[in-house]
Amino acid sequence: MKLENKVTRTIFTDIKQSSRLVVRHPYFGILLTGTLLLLLQVLGIAGVIRASTINLLTPVIIYYLVALGFTFLLGYAGLASLGTAGFVGLNAYVLAHVAGNLGWPAFTGVMIGLAISIIVGVVVGFISLRIEGMYLAIITLGIAEILVEIFRKFLAVTRGNAGFSLFRMRFLFWEFKQSDRFTFSYYIIIVVLVLVMIFLYNLIKSPTGRAMLAMKNSTSAAQAMGISLLKFRLLAFILATIVAGLGGSLYFMNKLVSHPSTWGLALTLNILAAVVIGGMKSMYGVMAGTFIVFAMNDLLLKRLPFFDNYPSAYLVINGMLIILVVMFYPGGIVRLFTDIKQLVMKGARKLKSSWKEYRYGKDMDPS
Amino acid sequence: MAKIWIRLKKTLLLRHINRLEYRVQFNESYLPIIKERFDQRTERKLERLRQKHQRMLLPLEIGTLDDDVYQDVMTTDKIQRLETAYDWKKRAVRQSHARAIKRNPDAKEAADAKRDTRLKQLDQTLDKKRKAILDKHQRHLDEDAIETNRASYKAKKAELDTEYQRLRTRLETKDEARFTFIRDKRMQKLEPLHQLLETKRAQLLKVLAEDPEAELLLDKLDEKDILKIEDLTMKFGGLKAVDDLSFTVKEGEIFGLIGPNGAGKTTVFNCITQFHKPNAGNLYYRNINREVVSLNSFKVHDVIKQGIVRTFQNVELIWELSILDNMLVGAHSLYKAGFFTQLLHLHKLKREEAVIHAKAIKILTDLDLILYKDLYPIGLPYGVLKRLELARTLMTQPNLIILDEPAAGLNDLETKSLADTLRKIRETYACTIFLVEHDMQLVMEVCDTICAINFGKKLAIGTASEIKQNKLVQEAYLGGE
Repeated sequence: MKLENKVTRTIFTDIKQSSRLVVRHPYFGILLTGTLLLLLQVLGIAGVIRASTINLLTPVIIYYLVALGFTFLLGYAGLASLGTAGFVGLNAYVLAHVAGNLGWPAFTGVMIGLAISIIVGVVVGFISLRIEGMYLAIITLGIAEILVEIFRKFLAVTRGNAGFSLFRMRFLFWEFKQSDRFTFSYYIIIVVLVLVMIFLYNLIKSPTGRAMLAMKNSTSAAQAMGISLLKFRLLAFILATIVAGLGGSLYFMNKLVSHPSTWGLALTLNILAAVVIGGMKSMYGVMAGTFIVFAMNDLLLKRLPFFDNYPSAYLVINGMLIILVVMFYPGGIVRLFTDIKQLVMKGARKLKSSWKEYRYGKDMDPS
Repeated sequence: MAKIWIRLKKTLLLRHINRLEYRVQFNESYLPIIKERFDQRTERKLERLRQKHQRMLLPLEIGTLDDDVYQDVMTTDKIQRLETAYDWKKRAVRQSHARAIKRNPDAKEAADAKRDTRLKQLDQTLDKKRKAILDKHQRHLDEDAIETNRASYKAKKAELDTEYQRLRTRLETKDEARFTFIRDKRMQKLEPLHQLLETKRAQLLKVLAEDPEAELLLDKLDEKDILKIEDLTMKFGGLKAVDDLSFTVKEGEIFGLIGPNGAGKTTVFNCITQFHKPNAGNLYYRNINREVVSLNSFKVHDVIKQGIVRTFQNVELIWELSILDNMLVGAHSLYKAGFFTQLLHLHKLKREEAVIHAKAIKILTDLDLILYKDLYPIGLPYGVLKRLELARTLMTQPNLIILDEPAAGLNDLETKSLADTLRKIRETYACTIFLVEHDMQLVMEVCDTICAINFGKKLAIGTASEIKQNKLVQEAYLGGE
């Protein structure tokens, strides 16, 4: 005998379903990242985390922002560029010049910097139409090196090898000082990061992102489907340079210092390494990659006595990681996470079944 | 100067017409999606109400049961759960007994005794618990009380049923009213558009009449023809891949281009779709607006907007996108959403995506590919990939589909089904199919007209039987004496 009215849904299933909807929303992870980073600063002000740790993490967050733009270029549009650090440095110096030498408000410096990065993006994009692959990488590398050389030699604007430093800078309503232990610019960085992540996610999940992937996989198919190579290559480069330029402006806003040596080839290669280690098509993978390349040494490895004695040994670790990832995980460390999860699940299942066999015997019929 | 003025006017008009047509089409295909969404929302609301009613009715229904039935209903599940749990416990006892014997065969009797006592204990506790459950769910109700309960249950149920029906009718009428309101509003908005479209088309005809070039072009192509290739020549260095080739393709037919390896068939395709710019010769084509154009004046990525879509000899799908996303890439030229709309994922883009998504699903179901919707192309069988590429061409409602060796790498069964698919596509999507193929059986079976070429030169053109009997073709394929 069965009842007509059997209750299957309870309030708990409703809550479960709706919470799943919230958690699985693509913006959830992005906003969570932003909140956690903000929490870091709050904890720093409260005195739980040391100020030096946060000062160390701020440039890493900026490099993550730059790496996101680079991911769009390399992972989606399939264009190799080695000029990232140069483009970042250019905007840092533009802001320095506008705020320091000319004495204009810093906000105009950011805007001028963005306009300049758009121009640079257009130029490099046009180059990319003629030249592809390795040769494009070499040309962008050349452009970046020229920029670095300008930072070194153009003393009137950049103050040369000694580096450009300001003691204070006004940005809209806030004043940044170099002596601040916790600057307000941190919040601006987080807001920009969250916005860029959301915008990039939107672009990736829209016709533009699909067109980029089509262009990367097969140029002829993309053209036959009505995708203009000119338009999308320009777009990819402009986006990457805009994000890189924003990173440069934020860097100067935060540190109020810019050295030419910061913007050398090493930074470009480190960002490339972060993207390759993390996974070329995943935001969170790139986050993990950036952490490994830029922050792992200072935050984790230095606690170990071996790395304390040999401060350069972490470079070996980074190199080995790149080799390992390229050999065994071409998809990046993101794949590693999913693989580990699968492995753990499989192990748990096996353990459970073997325990059952030991306790109840081989025959699984309950009798 | 006048020429430039006319050309400018023409391009502007064409653009305007294109936009208007897009709006009309978009509205027509978006209305069913709205309807579907309304229906889904109504269903969800009704389902929620039904569950609420069930929750309300459950205690009343329990009240209507006879005493023994009540006990049965309330305890069956619990007792069953209890019994299975004790079964497992007993098995554990038996298993440990077996292990003990294996470890120490001499102490068999002691182990047996231990097992028996433990099993007995388990049985006793099980009985006790079962009895406790049964006792807990005892009830003594009079016949009259049950009768009254039944009556009240019936009344309540009828009441709730009417409430449910009332909500259903209310929601449906509301939906209907809202849908008709939206439809009427959209149609009202569209009405002037239709008129505008008519006038613009008339204007375009007038401009075209003024344009001496268009008139010239119009004479080039017969009313029934869709594509005319005239003295096409394509050289790669010293090699003439296509040499003074000319033929015409009629509208609505399946046209086959055959020839031995290296005859220049794919080069002809590449010239038509502007992947190669031909050295000499003209390509006339009647586009979606039934206007004659010379294809040489277009860029590669603009050819699709004229209504020509092609496939490739070796499958050129986007391996990093799922099948459905591949279909959406095929419709890339249909998107009108601008960059900032995409950056912010505005409602406009979502509506467009919904329309194109529905179209992709429809085409995939038509070609029996819906099974692979969410998979990635890597690892799928070659026949499926070929059909997928064919499906992708249909996304833009083309006039002319160009297939480069659609049967390459397919087995006999797949080739046979391909012939049926090609005919089906021509009928349902009203387009012309132009294909290059090595599989003679397929070509002879499916093509209305066949053109045979060798070393870039035309050998013969005609129906299948004519081509079969042609001496030159036989020589080219089997060799001369």
